[in-house]
Amino acid sequence: MAPTTTTKTVEEPPKETKEIPSTLAEMKGSIDESTFEQILEMDDDDSDRDFSKGIVFGFFDQAESTFVKMEDALRREDLSDLSSLGHYLKGSSATLGLTKVKDACEKIQHYGAGKDETGSTDEPEKKTSLSRIEKTLTQVKEDYKEVEAFLRKYYGEDEESA
Amino acid sequence: MPYSYLTGSDVARSLSPPSQDRVKQQSSLPNVVAMDLNKRLFHLDIENKPQAQPVNFSMVTTPPDDEDDDEVNHLKLKVESKQSPHEHDKPHPREKNMPDTDVQQSPAALGRIYRYTPIPSVILDPSLHVVEVSNSHVAFAGLSRELLLGRFICDVCPRILPAIDIAILFGALRAAITTQDVQSIDKICIDDASACYTLRITPIFENSNLLYIVLEALDISKRQIKSVSKSHGSYSNETYKVLLDTVKDYAIFMLDTHGHIVTWNTGAALLKGYSAKEIIGRHFSTFYSLEDRMADKPGKELEVCLREGKVEDEGWRYRKDGSRFWANVLITPMYALGRHIGFTKVTRDLTERNAAEARMIAAFEESSRLKTDFLANMSHEIRTPMNGMLLALTSLMATDMNEQQREYSSIIEDSTNVLLQVINDVLDYSKLSSGSFTLHPDTFSVDSITNAVVRNCKGALKPGVQLTSFIPPNFPSQVEGDPLRYRQVLQNLISNAVKFTEEGYVKINTTFSEDAEDPNVYNIRTEVADTGVGVPEDAIGSLFTPFTRFAESGSKRYQGTGLGLSICKSLAELMDGSVGYRPNPERKGSIFWVTAKMRRVSVTPPARTTGTPVEDVGDIERKIHDIAPHKHVLLVEDNLVNQMMMLKLLQNMGFARIDTAWDGAEAVRLVKQQPLSYNTILMDIGMPVLDGVQATRQIRQMELAMPIIALTGNVMPGDIEHYMKQGMSDHIGKPIHQKQLMRLLWKWMGT
Repeated sequence: MAPTTTTKTVEEPPKETKEIPSTLAEMKGSIDESTFEQILEMDDDDSDRDFSKGIVFGFFDQAESTFVKMEDALRREDLSDLSSLGHYLKGSSATLGLTKVKDACEKIQHYGAGKDETGSTDEPEKKTSLSRIEKTLTQVKEDYKEVEAFLRKYYGEDEESA
Repeated sequence: MPYSYLTGSDVARSLSPPSQDRVKQQSSLPNVVAMDLNKRLFHLDIENKPQAQPVNFSMVTTPPDDEDDDEVNHLKLKVESKQSPHEHDKPHPREKNMPDTDVQQSPAALGRIYRYTPIPSVILDPSLHVVEVSNSHVAFAGLSRELLLGRFICDVCPRILPAIDIAILFGALRAAITTQDVQSIDKICIDDASACYTLRITPIFENSNLLYIVLEALDISKRQIKSVSKSHGSYSNETYKVLLDTVKDYAIFMLDTHGHIVTWNTGAALLKGYSAKEIIGRHFSTFYSLEDRMADKPGKELEVCLREGKVEDEGWRYRKDGSRFWANVLITPMYALGRHIGFTKVTRDLTERNAAEARMIAAFEESSRLKTDFLANMSHEIRTPMNGMLLALTSLMATDMNEQQREYSSIIEDSTNVLLQVINDVLDYSKLSSGSFTLHPDTFSVDSITNAVVRNCKGALKPGVQLTSFIPPNFPSQVEGDPLRYRQVLQNLISNAVKFTEEGYVKINTTFSEDAEDPNVYNIRTEVADTGVGVPEDAIGSLFTPFTRFAESGSKRYQGTGLGLSICKSLAELMDGSVGYRPNPERKGSIFWVTAKMRRVSVTPPARTTGTPVEDVGDIERKIHDIAPHKHVLLVEDNLVNQMMMLKLLQNMGFARIDTAWDGAEAVRLVKQQPLSYNTILMDIGMPVLDGVQATRQIRQMELAMPIIALTGNVMPGDIEHYMKQGMSDHIGKPIHQKQLMRLLWKWMGT
C-alpha cells in the first residue's frame, strides 16, 4: 500500500495574522470604554466576572442569530424586518458600548425603513436599500468578529471558540 | 300705629308753608298770626325735644310729660297783645245782637247754624279766641257756653274740645291756617275709649283774610264695632299678661321711651337670669357687650326702631352670670293714645337653633360624603373588571373571527369604552366633589398639550370642519401646573366642540397674562369657539351642573354622561381658574373658555437634565439606596441583553422589586393587574406587539400618573417631544449610564 499522502485541500480559514489586542484601550475605535467599563463595574467580584461575562456571551448568541435572520430577510427582500432587526441589535450593542456594531445596525435600521444612512432622507428605491444593507451587513459581521475575538480573549475563552 | 292725628305730610306742610304764599299775604293779619304761631310752635317743639332729632311724627306730637304751662301762657299773652285792628272794625260775635227771626237777611242769622248744629262745634276768631259754642258742644262737653266764650283756645282744657293735647291742636290749627284748608285730628278717644271722635278744623278765609276757625267734633264711635272692641279690650289685657308669663322660651318685656326696662316675663327671667325685681328700672343695654355699649348700639337700635317702626338684630347678649348667648332681638315701638310710650322687646335664644342647624349640616355633609365615597368605591370596583373585559376583548379581536363575530365584538368594544368613560367621569366627579382630588404639579408646555389634544380630536372631526389652534409666539414655552388635568379640561372642551359641529370651524385660541398679584403666576386662558349647535338660552344656567345634558337629550346622537363640563369646572377651580360659556358672536355656535393659573418656570430645564448638577453623586447614590427597597419598578425592554443590563443596574442601586415585561402589551397587562403598585416605569420605545409610546398612552388612559421614563436609542429630532405628548414623563438615552439613571430616578421618586 503505497502510502498516500494527503495534501490538505480543504481551505483552512486564514490564520489571524493580526494579534488580538488584550486591553480595552486598544479597542477604542470599536468599543466605548466607559460604557463597557460600567458593565464590568457591575460585577460583584473582579476575579469572577459572572455578570458581565453572561451579558457579553448573551450578546454573542443574540448577534449571531440576528445576522442569520438578517441574511434570511435579505433573501426575502423584507425591508421592514431588516429595519427592526437592525433596531434590535442596535439596542444591545449600544448597551455594551460596541460602537461600530451599533452604528452599522443603526444604518441597517434606517435603510430598512427606506431612508438613507442617517435616517433623515427618504430612499425610494428598494433595490438601493437592499444593496446598501447587504454591504453594511458584510461590514458589521466583520466588525462583530473583531470585537467578539477581543472579548472572548478578554474573558479567557479564545482557545475554546468553536 | 293705632292712633294717628296728622299725616306726616301735614306736619311737613305746617312746618314749612309755601314761601310764595307768605310773600303774597305778607300784609294780611291772619298770616302774621299764623307766622307768629309758627314761631311759637316751633319753639314749643324745640322745648319738647331737647336734642335735635330727625323729624319723627310721634316724637313731634309727644308733649313733655310736665306740660309747660308757662309757655302756653306766654303764648296766649303774645297772641293777645297782638290782637289785630280788625277786632275793632268787626263786632265781636258775642256782643252782637242776633235776631232769631231774620234768617234770610242777616248774616248774623246764619250764626244760628253753629248755635244749633248737632255737631259739637267751637268757633274761633283769628286770634284763636272762642267766639261761638254750639249747644251740642255744651251738651257734649258738659260746660256752659259762658265759660268758653272769649277764652283763648290754649286755656281751654284740650279734652273738652276734644283734643289730645295743646301741641297737637296747635299743630293742626297752624296747618289749617297755612294751608287754608280743612285739617282733621283722627281717632281721639275719650275716657277709656268709650267714644271716639275726629276733630275737624275748618279755617274760614275771605280772600286771604282769616275770619274764623271752626272746630267740629265728629263722632266716629258708631263706625267702630263697639261690641267687639269692648269685649276684646275687657279681657285682652289679662289674656296677654297670662300669655306673656307662660312663654318660657322668649324674653318679652317692655322698655320706656328711654330704654329702661319696665316689665319682665318668665321667659326673660329664665333667659337672662335676672329676676323682675333686679332688672326693672335698669337700662336694657345691660344685656349688651361692652363693645356694643361703647358703640351705642342699644341707642341706635331705638332710633332705628322709631324711624322704621321696628328693628331686628342678631348678636351676642349677656346673661346675669356673664355668659353669653346668640340672640335674635325684635324691638317695636309702642304708642298709646298717639303718644310714644315705650318699646316692646322680644329676645330669642338662638343657641339651640344654631346648634340644631349645625347638626343638620353635619348630618347632611356626612351623608353627602358617604354617597360620594360610595360612588367612588363603586366606580373603582366596576372599573377594574371593566379593564379586564377590555383587555380580553382586545385579545379576542386579535383572533380569527368571521365578519359577524367581528361586528358583535366591535359593538362590545364601543359599549365598553363608553361605559368606561362614564365610570371614569363618575369617579372623577366623586373625587372632585369629595375634595380628595389633588393636582400633581409638573413642568410642561401648554403648546404641546394643546397640539396633542388637537391631534387627538382630529379623528372625530366631521368632514369639512376646520380645526385650528392659535397660540401667540411669545407664549411661555414651559409652565408649572398639572399637565394631565389641564389636558383633561382641554380634551373635554375641544372634543365637545368637535362632536357638536357639523360644519364650519372649531378654533382654539390660547392666551396668557401675568397675574396681577403674583408676577410668578400666569393666567392661562384657552377659548374654544365652534360653529356647532350652540346652547339654548334656557340651558345656559345649568351647563356646568352635574348630570345635565341639553343636547338633543331624546336622541342617541350624542353620547355622554353630562358630567364632562361639571368636571371641567371643578378641575379649573382646582387650578385656581374657571370655565365659562358665551354664544359665538360670529355665527351660531358656542365659545367655551377655561382659565387656569400656572406658575412661571424661571429657567427652562433642558430636556437632558436629569437632576440638579450641584447635588453630589455620592449623595444621590446614598439617597437612592435608602428609598429603593420600598419602590416597585416596572422595566419594559424587549432586548435580553439590555434587560439584563438594566436589571443589574437597578439591583445594584438597591431596587428589590423589579418586574419585567418583554413588550408594551405585557407592560400594559401588568399595570392593569396592579395599577397603583408601580412607582415608576422604565419603558423601551421600539418593541414588538405594542411599542413603548402606545403602551404609555394606554397606561395614561387608565388615569395613572406614575412617572414613565423612556429608554431611547438614537432619537430623531422631535421624537422626545412626541414621547412627552403621549404621556412619557422623562427620557434617558441608551447606552444607559448608571449615574444618569440614578439622578433620573431620584428626580422622579425622591421626595
